[in-house]
Amino acid sequence: MHRHLIELILFSTYAELRAEAARSYLGLIWWVLEPAMMMGAFWLVFDVILHTGGPDYLPFLLIGMTLWQWMKSCITHGGYAIWSNLAMVRQVNLPPIVFPLIAMLSDTVKFMFIFALLVGILWAMGYPPNAAYWALPILFLAIFAAAAGAGFVVASIVPLVPDLRFVIEQVLTVVMFLSGVIFPLAKVPPGLQWLMALNPVAVVMDDARGILMHGQLPNWIGLGKVGAIALAMCAIGSLTVHRLAPRFPKLAG
Amino acid sequence: MGEILIELEHVGIAFSAGRSVVGGRFWALEDVNLQLRRGERLGVIGRNGAGKSTLLRVIADILAPDRGRVRRAPVTCQLLSLSLGFVPHLSGRDNAVLSGLMLGLRRREIVKRLPAIREFSELGDFFDQPIATYSSGMNMRLAFSVAIQVEPDVLLIDEVLSVGDAEFQQKSGAAMAQRMGEGQTVVLVSHDESQIAKRCDRVLWIEHGRSVLEGGRDEVFAAYHNDLHLVADKR
Repeated sequence: MHRHLIELILFSTYAELRAEAARSYLGLIWWVLEPAMMMGAFWLVFDVILHTGGPDYLPFLLIGMTLWQWMKSCITHGGYAIWSNLAMVRQVNLPPIVFPLIAMLSDTVKFMFIFALLVGILWAMGYPPNAAYWALPILFLAIFAAAAGAGFVVASIVPLVPDLRFVIEQVLTVVMFLSGVIFPLAKVPPGLQWLMALNPVAVVMDDARGILMHGQLPNWIGLGKVGAIALAMCAIGSLTVHRLAPRFPKLAG
Repeated sequence: MGEILIELEHVGIAFSAGRSVVGGRFWALEDVNLQLRRGERLGVIGRNGAGKSTLLRVIADILAPDRGRVRRAPVTCQLLSLSLGFVPHLSGRDNAVLSGLMLGLRRREIVKRLPAIREFSELGDFFDQPIATYSSGMNMRLAFSVAIQVEPDVLLIDEVLSVGDAEFQQKSGAAMAQRMGEGQTVVLVSHDESQIAKRCDRVLWIEHGRSVLEGGRDEVFAAYHNDLHLVADKR
């Protein structure tokens, strides 16, 4: 990519984070507080009230929610980015993919803060950092590629059909429940287990918990398949954005 | 005469009418021809809704033609946009960098020009305050000071020649005039005929998305005024 575009993406990411921190009284604290509150709510419902989990349920839930929130925000924020920047798209000749990239990068920076907090909490709960942590960057790359690919596809369609925004959130909620984010997939009837094994989100959730809770390296073949699916999604997504790019400047915001 | 930088042949641009699935299309530009040579200052005139701003976005390579052809030499074209990408909670300085990047400048070029931007905008210490605290006049001063830094091969201007209070209007108008006088290739769209008469050597007249006449300034203006009178007489 052209150097100028890289500068533009990086500075815009900084600007977005900076502006977001300045917008509310607690600023940066919300980056961590908001997901913490959400995790608390799920813990209350599924553990305290419904007794879904066993002794390991809290770390299981925290890891799942942290990763899922990152993926979800990349898909939704990135997915709405071209649509919400249409005023700018009409004014400058920039490849539209820069807008979702900026949104995804700033969500990734926020995720880094939350993840650091998660590692601290896990440590306090008796799951100290372990030798398998070296596999985390690889896992994160696969997660980012999958989320970015899905986000690009959404980003290219939402400007044409803004109504889709009302559907996306619901679809993502269903994906969340079917991916072992909230409860273990062992509870899924055996007849449907094979379907779950093909779900990239479910695979990365398992791998992340293996690393963080049990010091267990990922199943590389499974992760390799997920990585390949993720890269394919990325390619399809960026191609869709590229193909639809001429139509965006003609759309009313 | 300079080399041809941009050439439009029978260019048409269609927009879909409305958001519904069944909506038809309307042609904002139907058939426009244009030749832009290096160093030329071309004015575009025409009544409201003639397609002037759409034409400018075609020249800027933002809109791709739905019919006809656009040929362009490897040159940079930039639409002069004020407040492009401004973020309310960021300082004037950060916004200057952001807007400059959006307008096609490299980061080090903008950083080098920050003192000049600060100076020209007369913002003083406010330059490092969030622009959410600015008055609209201060906002326009910053926006203009950034925009005037952009140095594309072809500068495209849509009705923004001077902004702010009387004093800054004079200053920004003078800066603009200087930029347009330095051999810069310019395409200027305006309702204000006097601006075009003063600043352009050649004029393109479009009406209902079609080229009517392109040529020397006086010739085109004479024909345009003649037509306006004819229309007025008919009424």
